[in-house]
Amino acid sequence: MSALELQSLLPQIILALGATTVLMLGAWYPSRKWILGGVVIALFAALSAGLMTPAVPEVGNLYSTGSYARFFVVLWSLLGALSLLLSLRYAEIHDLPGSEYCALILFAICGMSLLSAATSLIGLFLGLEAFTLVFYILIAFKREDSRGAEAGLKYLVMGAVATGFLAFGISLIYAASGSFHLPEAFAGLEQAGGMRPLGLAGWALMLVAIGFKVSLAPFHLWTPDVYQGAPAPVTGLLATGSKGAVFASLVPLFAALGPLKADLEQVLWLLAALSLLAGTFAALPQRNLKRMLAYSSVVHMGYLMIGLLVGGSEAHRALLFYLISYAFATLAAFGVLTSFSRVDDEPQEYADFRGLGYLHPRRSSLLAACLLSLAGIPPLVGFFAKFGIIAAALKGGYPGLAVIAVLAALTSLYYYLAPIVVLFMQQRDARQLRRGCRHEYFVLALCFSAILLLGVYPAPLLDLLTGILP
Amino acid sequence: MISVYHYLILSAIIFSIGTFGVLTRKNAIVIFMCIELMLNSVNLTFIALSRHLQNMDGQIFVFFVMAVAAAEAAVGLALMIAFYRNRESIDTDDFNMLKW
Repeated sequence: MSALELQSLLPQIILALGATTVLMLGAWYPSRKWILGGVVIALFAALSAGLMTPAVPEVGNLYSTGSYARFFVVLWSLLGALSLLLSLRYAEIHDLPGSEYCALILFAICGMSLLSAATSLIGLFLGLEAFTLVFYILIAFKREDSRGAEAGLKYLVMGAVATGFLAFGISLIYAASGSFHLPEAFAGLEQAGGMRPLGLAGWALMLVAIGFKVSLAPFHLWTPDVYQGAPAPVTGLLATGSKGAVFASLVPLFAALGPLKADLEQVLWLLAALSLLAGTFAALPQRNLKRMLAYSSVVHMGYLMIGLLVGGSEAHRALLFYLISYAFATLAAFGVLTSFSRVDDEPQEYADFRGLGYLHPRRSSLLAACLLSLAGIPPLVGFFAKFGIIAAALKGGYPGLAVIAVLAALTSLYYYLAPIVVLFMQQRDARQLRRGCRHEYFVLALCFSAILLLGVYPAPLLDLLTGILP
Repeated sequence: MISVYHYLILSAIIFSIGTFGVLTRKNAIVIFMCIELMLNSVNLTFIALSRHLQNMDGQIFVFFVMAVAAAEAAVGLALMIAFYRNRESIDTDDFNMLKW
């Protein structure tokens, strides 16, 4: 690797080396202050990604350093910094080791930004594994909590099987095309002749693996269990960053796909429709906020899948906008749960929230705003995002999916309003929960202003997304 | 004469055995062994293809798969110990605290 390539990959190197340093120094000076150090490292990486011009457009035929990749480095670093800030008090209360936690989150951000930058199937595999391995540990980070261990083990078994499918799928694509590098791999698949069915089978296996990682129905069964068992700030990052990074890597992948996409169209259609329907029906009877958010995330993944299926720069822009709006609303929702959590347990059953709106009006209103944004109520950003996806589906010639998406959005009002009703319109018999701290309020206010501002004035972000799309 | 197709078929069979084992076995460690079987069948495919295509990329991928498999096994065994400490079992039937 030349010095120029190292310079081009600097943001990811800052994250990885920073994480290693924190891990090493934490062994001698254990302290929870390291989490603040991690915030600084993440912000530093975001700054270097935003301000420095990369010297080469692609590093080692593995990772792109284009503006698209850089944008996602900034986004994941900011999300990581926000969830580290959220975890500061949480780690203190639950007595989590600070330096290990911080290092793991930094490694996860590094993996996500590598995945979003992948231009080769090797890069894709490595980026994906880099942060999935970290999440196995983070989910079970509270060692004495048996639910955490169970969730971690469930995620590990599912994730390892998905890894096997991904690797086998890549091997079949390699068999048909003889290359890992993205445009060539698909171009080779077109001319493969007798090996072409093998390549398509490889694509099918890869889709299974991707379905597992982003929890598309019918591969979504791990999602509610893992959301429920994992610590709330970790769930926040898992729900936003890890799924978002996979979609961010899929957008250039599908743009490079070319005429091959016609073969995959029906499968993608089915995945999108099934995710919308299965997520909606499973979310309806939930009485646990984390599980409800898990099933509703399956629905959101269905929306994102529509954007991917329609294709074209407009649909991809709608997809990325949706991804960002979903990320901020979800992170804030889990942020509120984090700020409510106490030593013994995190409140997540609806019964814990009864009448809480009178006891903790600010955070309860914020939780309500996040849920309303996820449901797509104007003027919050969720409305505009959903509108973009459905309009893209109609324009792209998928009226059936558009109808399913509208129905899913209407039904979602029921399960998003249920917790809000519990918060504000029932007898106040909830116990007082933990008081928030400054860091948490700062993160929550930032997410809320993002939800509100982007909903009222989305034009700058849309322009930015148009500029970076490959 | 053994061609690349024989290797591909063999690794497909091993992969299927691994997948079948993951779906049917109850003990978490045996499930892990099955996952290793799946990943190693992938390695076999890559090595056979690398020779067939006269292209070193496949062999490089094998090293990455081995590294990932090792890391996964390390994390997995640690998680199993954490689970065993709490529940005195690593049977998948005992993964029952989180449902519906």
